[in-house]
Amino acid sequence: MSSDPDAPSDATSTPDASRSGETLLETRGLVKEFGGLVATDDVSIDVKRGERVSIIGPNGAGKSTLINLITRRLEPTRGDILFKGESIVQMEPHQVVQRGISKSFQTASIFPDLTVMENAQIAALAAEHGEFGFNFLTHRDKLTDVHELAEDTLEAVGLLDRAHNDAEDLPYGDKRRLEIGIALAAEPDLLLMDEPTAGMSPEETQATVDLIEEVKEEMGLTFVLVEHDMEIVFSISDRIVVLNRGGVIAEGTPEEIRGDPAVQEAYLGGVEL
Amino acid sequence: MSIVSELAVILLNGLQQGAIYVLLAVGLSIILGTLKFVNFAHGALYLVGTYAGLFIALDVTLSSGKLQEWGYGEFGLGWGFLAALILVPLFVFAVGLLMERFLARSFYDRPDTDQILVTFGLAIVVQELFRVLFGSNSLPFTQPEYILSVIPVSGPMQLPIVGSFPRWRLWVIAITAVLVGIVYLLVEHTDFGLVVRAGTRDAEMVRLLGIKISRPYLVVFGIGAALAGVAGVVGGPLNVVNPTVGMNILVPAFLTVVIGGVGTITGAVVGGLIIGLTQATLIGLPSVTIASFTLNFSPWSQVGLYAIAAIILLVRPQGIFGNEEVAP
Repeated sequence: MSSDPDAPSDATSTPDASRSGETLLETRGLVKEFGGLVATDDVSIDVKRGERVSIIGPNGAGKSTLINLITRRLEPTRGDILFKGESIVQMEPHQVVQRGISKSFQTASIFPDLTVMENAQIAALAAEHGEFGFNFLTHRDKLTDVHELAEDTLEAVGLLDRAHNDAEDLPYGDKRRLEIGIALAAEPDLLLMDEPTAGMSPEETQATVDLIEEVKEEMGLTFVLVEHDMEIVFSISDRIVVLNRGGVIAEGTPEEIRGDPAVQEAYLGGVEL
Repeated sequence: MSIVSELAVILLNGLQQGAIYVLLAVGLSIILGTLKFVNFAHGALYLVGTYAGLFIALDVTLSSGKLQEWGYGEFGLGWGFLAALILVPLFVFAVGLLMERFLARSFYDRPDTDQILVTFGLAIVVQELFRVLFGSNSLPFTQPEYILSVIPVSGPMQLPIVGSFPRWRLWVIAITAVLVGIVYLLVEHTDFGLVVRAGTRDAEMVRLLGIKISRPYLVVFGIGAALAGVAGVVGGPLNVVNPTVGMNILVPAFLTVVIGGVGTITGAVVGGLIIGLTQATLIGLPSVTIASFTLNFSPWSQVGLYAIAAIILLVRPQGIFGNEEVAP
């Protein structure tokens, strides 16, 4: 394990150094039941700082439920979630964001009638001003820290030249980039991405994968990715967690997962029983 | 009077009447658009504003009601109109905060019908409370003559083209324009406004970004209430003052919101002007005699509001500036 426990993930740190960092996120025996249906079944995973972890599994495996438990949109039936060693299961969703967990959403979630810049600013506001105090008279463009953060973020996702367009006028791929930008502007330690390339053309998918790589290199971010596209999963993950029927059936590097019989069974043998 | 000056008078009267609706509708509309809260007690805030303005500005002699029976017939502070114009918005802002905190907030997630029932009930309670305390007869709210003892605000004013026009009505238009301008700047150019606009679209996502939206909501409610209070103060001297004024103004205020489109300030302004102009036109048009049949338009002024609203909504169901996806 790492000898520098609190290494604040130096942005330029090598992948190897970040791979063995402190544990950032940990779930312990997490269970979510909807009536009689067990959507999350005793899931214990851990994510280290700087790691890129993908969660895969067939439809209905409980991937989105797990993400929603971590972002506190769902209440777990049992179990605990630790972030930076602190339990977050009692927290409100906005408090979890303040602690440093951000999520890029499955469906296009931007504010369509605000400009691209305003979209970035609102996320930056949350990051710079905590839970939002009574600073409401301040002129938006004069809050330099917010403005700079918003601008930096847009530059990082390559949307700065479209800053003053309405978000709804962006092409689909750019909307998804903006979404990632919104998640990044909140300056998270951990970014949860729920199918970031869903519905994209091959070119847009490639551009998004490049963006994720770029952001990972530049910001030293930790990702948890839910993705259907196996090509993407195998190309950008450090580690893969495979879920089936709510439980973890395999966990390991892309190479290990590729050859795992349980994974092939889950994906190919779904009709047995 | 020439036709031109008559039309100009109708136009100015329409602007003035519209201004009162604009003040009410801006608050109603941002509360409905942002908080998705249907506030039928908005007229009650106008009622509170009118009475508070009256009692702050003037000395009033009550001729009926419990206060008079109890020996408090001589009522009012007599501090003048400017004091009322400053204090009433602050007072009604505070009333709005209390209303949000103790009533509205627990109804945000409930169906519209629950919100309507509870706020309509509140409006009736407030109206009857005022009736019991201050009597049901109309109180005189005389127009102020001067503000700060030097700026004349009452009496007629000579305008080019229009001719003579009541000075106070022009002040109502000016005060409304300034206040709506301030609210517009607040919403469009501050980070408070940004959070409010984003919240109008998707409150859940604003929350997920890490912003505690309940505080901006509280302020939105307070601002909406304060504007209704101002409407009560500036509108008071133009209309009768009695406990039913709140209910009476509620319907045109809602029509304004619906015509303009929920959640937009521009919509509230345009909607208010349309309603005001419609009313002023129907009242101001001279009667027409065809053969032995005389058609007088002014009794139709109320019907005209619904007619114009119906026509606009047939063409644009979401209102002129409304966003169909945001409409509750």
